[in-house]
Amino acid sequence: MKRGLSLQAALAAYRADAELAPLPDQPDPDALLHAYHPDYLRGSMTKLTIGANAGADCQRELADLLQAEAFIDEADLAGAQVTDTDVLVVGGGGAGCAAALAAAERGARVLLATKLRLGDSNTVMAEGGIQAAIEPGDTAQQHMQDTLRSGHHAGDPALVAALVGDGPETIRWLIHQGMQFDQTPSGDLHTRKAGGTSAPRVVHCRDYTGLEMMRVLREAVKQHRGIEVWEQSPVVELLSNERGQKCVGAVLGSLADGSMRIVRTRSVILATGGLGRLHLNGFPTSNHIGATGDGLVLAYRMGAKLCELDSFQYHPTGLVHPAHLYGKLVTEGVRAAGALLLNAHGQRFVDELQPRDIVSAAIIRECREGRGIHNDNGVGVWLDTPRLERSQPGLLEREFPKLLTRTRHVGIDPRREPILVHPTLHYQNGGVVIDVDGATTVPGLYAAGEVAGGIHGRNRIMGNALLDIIGFGRRAGRAAAAAEHDRGPKKITLEHVNRARRELTLAGLPLEQRAPRVLPAYTAAGKDIWKS
Amino acid sequence: MTEATRDIQPVELLINGIPVRAEPQMTIVEAAWAGGVPRVTGVGCLEGVCGSCRILVRRGKEVNVALGCETFVEPGMEALFLPAPGTPRHQYQLTELADGWDIQARFHEIFPEASRCRHCHGCVKSCPKGISVEEGVKLAAAGHYREAGEAFLECVMCELCDSACPEYIAPAHVGLFCRRITAFFHLRPPNLIHKLEELKQEADKKEQP
Repeated sequence: MKRGLSLQAALAAYRADAELAPLPDQPDPDALLHAYHPDYLRGSMTKLTIGANAGADCQRELADLLQAEAFIDEADLAGAQVTDTDVLVVGGGGAGCAAALAAAERGARVLLATKLRLGDSNTVMAEGGIQAAIEPGDTAQQHMQDTLRSGHHAGDPALVAALVGDGPETIRWLIHQGMQFDQTPSGDLHTRKAGGTSAPRVVHCRDYTGLEMMRVLREAVKQHRGIEVWEQSPVVELLSNERGQKCVGAVLGSLADGSMRIVRTRSVILATGGLGRLHLNGFPTSNHIGATGDGLVLAYRMGAKLCELDSFQYHPTGLVHPAHLYGKLVTEGVRAAGALLLNAHGQRFVDELQPRDIVSAAIIRECREGRGIHNDNGVGVWLDTPRLERSQPGLLEREFPKLLTRTRHVGIDPRREPILVHPTLHYQNGGVVIDVDGATTVPGLYAAGEVAGGIHGRNRIMGNALLDIIGFGRRAGRAAAAAEHDRGPKKITLEHVNRARRELTLAGLPLEQRAPRVLPAYTAAGKDIWKS
Repeated sequence: MTEATRDIQPVELLINGIPVRAEPQMTIVEAAWAGGVPRVTGVGCLEGVCGSCRILVRRGKEVNVALGCETFVEPGMEALFLPAPGTPRHQYQLTELADGWDIQARFHEIFPEASRCRHCHGCVKSCPKGISVEEGVKLAAAGHYREAGEAFLECVMCELCDSACPEYIAPAHVGLFCRRITAFFHLRPPNLIHKLEELKQEADKKEQP
């Protein structure tokens, strides 16, 4: 990588009122992605050798986890306390809470288990908003086209149709749970236009949309009489029937006392989120501490089919500075409101409202070719917030309080100083294959939210994640609650674990690595939680 | 970290009673990880919005509470990670609040302590987000739910104010209640309602050919 300007030199040269040259001609998007997007980095991909996706491309670090050994075997189950419930929801973010509420509304007994505190999730950090085609002239069809096109037509049209069709009703449901959204002076919901879309349709609560959603859903779940919540209780392994072909429960560990508990259930909903904390390709991440891809690991060992395991979203505007927020996000809403991206020479280099993968690739190109800005943490380009403030005074304070608050205590004011940004690992585009009810290819096992795949294709647009988690969370919750009781013998086994172990041995793969990861190694100086 | 920062003197402090040497730019959470403090699970978003990394902080004789992901290490500081807050004691379901006219009566039934604020400022001092908690509770007790809720816009539900309140008012939950009923009763956006009506008519048309 060629060295660009230092942060001090670039700040000294920066002028919010400098005349900008017109945007140079843009290269072919596919060529740009192939040359600079991290998914195409040499050595980033490998092929899976075991499981439902054997032979498929997979990101290298993820493949290691998908083809790892389980933490437990039958001996660990002896004497474990057994709890029976109708629906087990794994994960306490937006999708898990929506699923739990939907299942409980249908009269099911619900147990929601989450490995940290209820609400500790990527949902709580979502800033920009949630998409729903509600403006006059906008339609679900347009929303569907935008989603498919930005996802490079890799999304499943049936899932995308379900996603966009749920939009307006999802917003109504959220309001009914007590969630607030920003309004125009006449009372309409205020909308923003996301990158890669044809109409303004992102509704939001300032830049605290996820926080507002999460605190409301957490309260709704905690107050609901039909839902029991177990915190600090990560799922260590799923349970299968004697043929290893149906999911009948899960084994839950406790971060508090290290004990294991068995939960027997009609259906399990995985809502475990993504895997940013695996730091794929050495990237920083915007994700919360628990985003370690556990759901993918559990589902794959159970035999579920996954998709798009070679496609991840690197959000264009992760913070480079200050250090303690390295990789954390600046919402795309700031670009939607008009903020530009500038390289070290103060030049624009990309249409800021192109889809995220294209904008990220362009930023990486600028940095790699010596037009980036360096400090101790890394390299980046400017997100020109002072120019935005200058053209629309008061806008940042009115619409983006989180942006201003988060860096205030370290003395950075984005109204006066441009923000140094670089792409950050943000989202798992693919995941567990589901149908419109959130059902996976394994009976009894459902998935919703970021852990599920097939909706966003190979690139997600802003505001579709929050719509996905609520829409598909509720779909999975309803379907799981309606699932029939098994009439056969109620045997719970680890047959699927034995099967996976046989496959690993036959393939000559090592059995040392164990998964799910539960928490990143650096949170405990390299110590795993169970065994090893 | 680059060569330049390695020359800087480490900061010595106590985290959960364990002596830790940290770099000056580190937060308490980063210092706990780097310093070998046994795994702390009360950590979530690492950007100050999930409210999970609740800590007690002592600087000299001054003791306060804060969030560990946005509090920086200082020489001689003592930090202690607090357990997660318990289940909310104030029970309610929005759907059981059918009538907006009796909402003030219901509020005082659900939060009987809210009108007993003794203005000790404990909640205000403990709030890591600088929210005017006491003023918000006062507005709520007087029935000004929209304004009260707005005061809690930046609340991350760390519930440190709940711990600080000698009257057990649970200000964070009062604030959230105010925000929720404001949406539940009053947020009726014409553009959304119009679209929902349009979709309903389309669906009806499809059903009767």
